[in-house]
Amino acid sequence: MRRDPLAHALIRTVPLLLLGMLWQAASSAGLINTAFLPSPATISVALADLLGGGEIGRNIFITLFRAGTGLLLGAVCGIWLGLMMARSLKFRAWVTPIVGGTYSLPKSALIPLFALWFGIGSLTAICAVYLACLLPMTVNTFQGVVSTPKVLTWSAQALGTSERQMLSRIYLRHALPDIFTGLRIALGFSFVLAISSEMIASSSGIGKLVFFYGENGAYDYMFAAIACVIAVAFLCDRAMLAVSGWCLRWHESAANARTA
Amino acid sequence: MTARPHEEGVKAAGLRLRSLASVMLLLVIWESAARSQLAPPVLLPAFTVVAAELGRIIADGSLASDLALSLYRAFTGLALAGACGILLGMLMARSRVVHWLIDPLVAIGFPSPKIAFLPVFILWFGIESLSKILLVAFACVFPVIIGTYSAARAVHRVLVWSAFSLGTTQHALLTRVILPACYPRIFATLRIALPVALITTFTAEMVAGGGGMGATLVYSQRFFESPTVFAYILVMLGIGLLLDAAVHAFARRYLAWAEE
Repeated sequence: MRRDPLAHALIRTVPLLLLGMLWQAASSAGLINTAFLPSPATISVALADLLGGGEIGRNIFITLFRAGTGLLLGAVCGIWLGLMMARSLKFRAWVTPIVGGTYSLPKSALIPLFALWFGIGSLTAICAVYLACLLPMTVNTFQGVVSTPKVLTWSAQALGTSERQMLSRIYLRHALPDIFTGLRIALGFSFVLAISSEMIASSSGIGKLVFFYGENGAYDYMFAAIACVIAVAFLCDRAMLAVSGWCLRWHESAANARTA
Repeated sequence: MTARPHEEGVKAAGLRLRSLASVMLLLVIWESAARSQLAPPVLLPAFTVVAAELGRIIADGSLASDLALSLYRAFTGLALAGACGILLGMLMARSRVVHWLIDPLVAIGFPSPKIAFLPVFILWFGIESLSKILLVAFACVFPVIIGTYSAARAVHRVLVWSAFSLGTTQHALLTRVILPACYPRIFATLRIALPVALITTFTAEMVAGGGGMGATLVYSQRFFESPTVFAYILVMLGIGLLLDAAVHAFARRYLAWAEE
């Protein structure tokens, strides 16, 4: 059952190419109203124009900066919070209602509030992304640390591991798979929240650009910009999977993935 | 470790007291910060003012109609995503051709931020409920497909073989063995999709208008009616918590058999 990965990847793109050809054929035959759905050829021309012009690159960079900053802050604070919650019953009792409440809140509800506080621009977007990423990181880290088998902690303590070393050598290491699960969820949230807040309260970024083209009836450019968003999100997700696969290569889940 | 039941009861009560205290403390800090004019009332209205506003929008029925509209959109979209996603996931698990056709689309669609498609849905389906319902369905369908597919693939072979040896037909196998075996994991994915449905609905309403919680929230923010903004966020928080509790109760009641 071993297949060449390149051939495998090629086989997987065939349905996409088929779909594109079908779409193009239907547009050319006049089955699709191109005013509402431009043909792939028109979109490709617009895409080439966008990529050549640099406008799309600048706006994607702005969006990635907002999403990335929020994700980074959310991940750092979330891991710390999750760790503290797992290690101290009292701390957990204090923050659980607040974490639980914010966890269930649809985070995009806070965008208008942040817009009220911080005005229109990057700070609003970063705050929204930060909060959206904080919660999955906290909850996943917490679960990973809290589920550390007692045998591991006892063995480490019996071997004379200090409290400080316990954190990095036992708790965080045991929680690492869960932390990466949280990171992947947070990565998805970071794009959604960054783009949402750009659509609601911003004058730049890829979300604003997509909306701008839509409002001005430049639908071929709108679809081209959306294609860029899909490509960037897809590549970031794959990169995250690759990083987590590499960091967890010692873990038993990696062995399962290899045989599957 | 060997605390007597009585002591453990006291401890649990102490922890619950801390949780209650943390929420009360937060409200007191909020109220006193607003009362002492630390921030202008436009940025931070006092909790009592927000509570009064909450009472007003409940009394005049505007909250109820917004809430009903938003929940109708979220749940119709979620139901649509559930129906399509379970069907497609099952087909992917049972047929290699369907898997080959759909898998690349899912691989690309899953990580993409679906909110970026909002201008497309507005273009095709207008700014009323239809575009929002379909966007919610589009956002929720990918996790459901993936969840159903992996659940159906994970059904134990012994179950399938036993059913066959007892003379179960292909059709009955699907409806009486495989689908029920997948219920817990399908439910788990619907649980993931529920907050996605809420977030997508609220965000789409904020961006495109057309009534609902999100639209009112953004209008209030634009006219600097801060108490209304805060009141709506509190309601969204409450909805999130309530639905979360309902899902937990449902799982305990109907899916208790699946717990290992």
